[in-house]
Amino acid sequence: MPTPSEGEVVVAARGVSRRYPLAVPGQALKTTLLHPGQALAAWRRRGRRELWAVRDVTFEVRRGEFFSIVGANGSGKSTLLRLLAGLSKPTRGTVELQGRVSTLLELGSGFHPQVSGRENVIMNGLLMGRTKREMEALLPRIVEFAGLREFIDQPMRTYSSGMYVRLGFAIAAFMEPEVLLVDEVLAVGDAKFQEKCYDHIARLQREGVTIVMVSHDLGAVERFSDRAALMERGRMVAVGPPRKVVGLHLERLAETSPEIRQAIEEGMAADEEGVRRRLAEDPEWAAEFAAALERHPGFHEKLRQEAGKGRADDARAD
Amino acid sequence: MAMARPAGGRSMRNAVELVLALTARDLKLRYQGSVLGWAWSLARPLALGAVLAFALGRVLGTGITAEFLLAGLFPWFWFQGAVQGASGSFIGNGGLLKKVRFPRAVLPLSTVLGATLQFLLSLPVLIGFVVASGHGPGPAWLGLPLVFALQLGLTAGLGLFVASVTVYFRDLEHITEVLLTLLFYGTPIIYAAELVPEGYRWLTYVNPLAPIMEGWRGILLDGELPPASHLGASAVLTAAALAVGWAVFRRLEDGFADAI
Repeated sequence: MPTPSEGEVVVAARGVSRRYPLAVPGQALKTTLLHPGQALAAWRRRGRRELWAVRDVTFEVRRGEFFSIVGANGSGKSTLLRLLAGLSKPTRGTVELQGRVSTLLELGSGFHPQVSGRENVIMNGLLMGRTKREMEALLPRIVEFAGLREFIDQPMRTYSSGMYVRLGFAIAAFMEPEVLLVDEVLAVGDAKFQEKCYDHIARLQREGVTIVMVSHDLGAVERFSDRAALMERGRMVAVGPPRKVVGLHLERLAETSPEIRQAIEEGMAADEEGVRRRLAEDPEWAAEFAAALERHPGFHEKLRQEAGKGRADDARAD
Repeated sequence: MAMARPAGGRSMRNAVELVLALTARDLKLRYQGSVLGWAWSLARPLALGAVLAFALGRVLGTGITAEFLLAGLFPWFWFQGAVQGASGSFIGNGGLLKKVRFPRAVLPLSTVLGATLQFLLSLPVLIGFVVASGHGPGPAWLGLPLVFALQLGLTAGLGLFVASVTVYFRDLEHITEVLLTLLFYGTPIIYAAELVPEGYRWLTYVNPLAPIMEGWRGILLDGELPPASHLGASAVLTAAALAVGWAVFRRLEDGFADAI
């Protein structure tokens, strides 16, 4: 296998920043007409009410590399992926991607509930830039992967949410992308299908597809990534080996505000086992983590409780 | 300037197929489960034509005929349906615009195309009325594609404009509704342009729809093309509508996903 570090750069972000206005005051005609003074004042203030969701992010991903982005909720990682996907333009900086890009942002978006799965697959393909003929050729494999053979001609409003997710992933996965952008989509769906998705992603990775993934599933990040990056308040604060970055992320999580911590705890609960395994296997990391936790007794307590529960479950299984 | 356009651009074929597929889906969904299907698109012009022929022709005694009204009402409902439909075409597809990257112009354009197909399907009925009322086809009918093209261009330009601006200024969808009602009475549809008093005649010159409506009627009922000067003015205004609609769309489209 060629080492990705020597490949050509296919995803590049240079000094990317994205600003969002926090609110758009005075937008309604009614307000403008009835309260002109207020509207004018809001218009004068407009520049100050803003949020830099992504700040000065620079990184490169080489062909065949699996690059993960982790970070707390609201750290800007999903915005960054939207910028890479071209769904939003950077306020400053440039984004460049080479080759055929397939994006998986929120599975099942763009499906119309009133028409059949088959028509939705074709329409999705057309939206992604494929021709009808290409999509008709890909259809059997997509349907097969999603396991929806007997349902494909039913209107999608009759599908379960799991079926939506499966069809959405199957479409993106079989688009033969050269660059695949994945945003936190595999958290949904049953464990068996999730496993199938990860298997497929691993296969794409072996075939040399470049993957950029945003995820809270730290176990998957460590398992698949060649490199990972940590986002914090819009900045990319660390890039490096997934294990190191995930460790740093957990450490920072424990240190940050209660709100963010809460959000992270939820993310961690999903990968509780991974955290516990890390604690057992990597003494250095465990020491760092413990030091971070020491400063937050409440968080520590919760984790210990969960670990205790896990051990009890293990004991029962034995 | 920041660029985020994935390499390996799209084929024209893809854009055309996308517009056609969206149009087909819209039409299919609109009449899904309805017994009369597309025949409903005839209901509005026919019903309004019948009422107006009675109210204006018989009650007020203006001598206006049903075929005169229908020759204006059919194209009008095409225009109105397309522009009104287009105004909500971006905000109604917010989920798609936020999650998938595709040529966004296909949304309003497919709405316009859908209304156009409905009009074309209803055209035989209109022509049936015209012929039944004793106005047989003549050489002037060769001018129909010209009037059709003018109206299509005008509709597409306005549709792109209102669809794009409505994303940022939601009130426009309602303003459009009001303006379309005003335009209906301000355009020679239920009256002939010659009847407009001299002092107000200029209104029909600045209204790009006026020569088009006169064109449909002149060709179908009088067997003559409208004066070249009127058609020329309409062509200029249509080209302007297309250019402005496209320019505004291009200027605003990058912000759609964030503004919706």
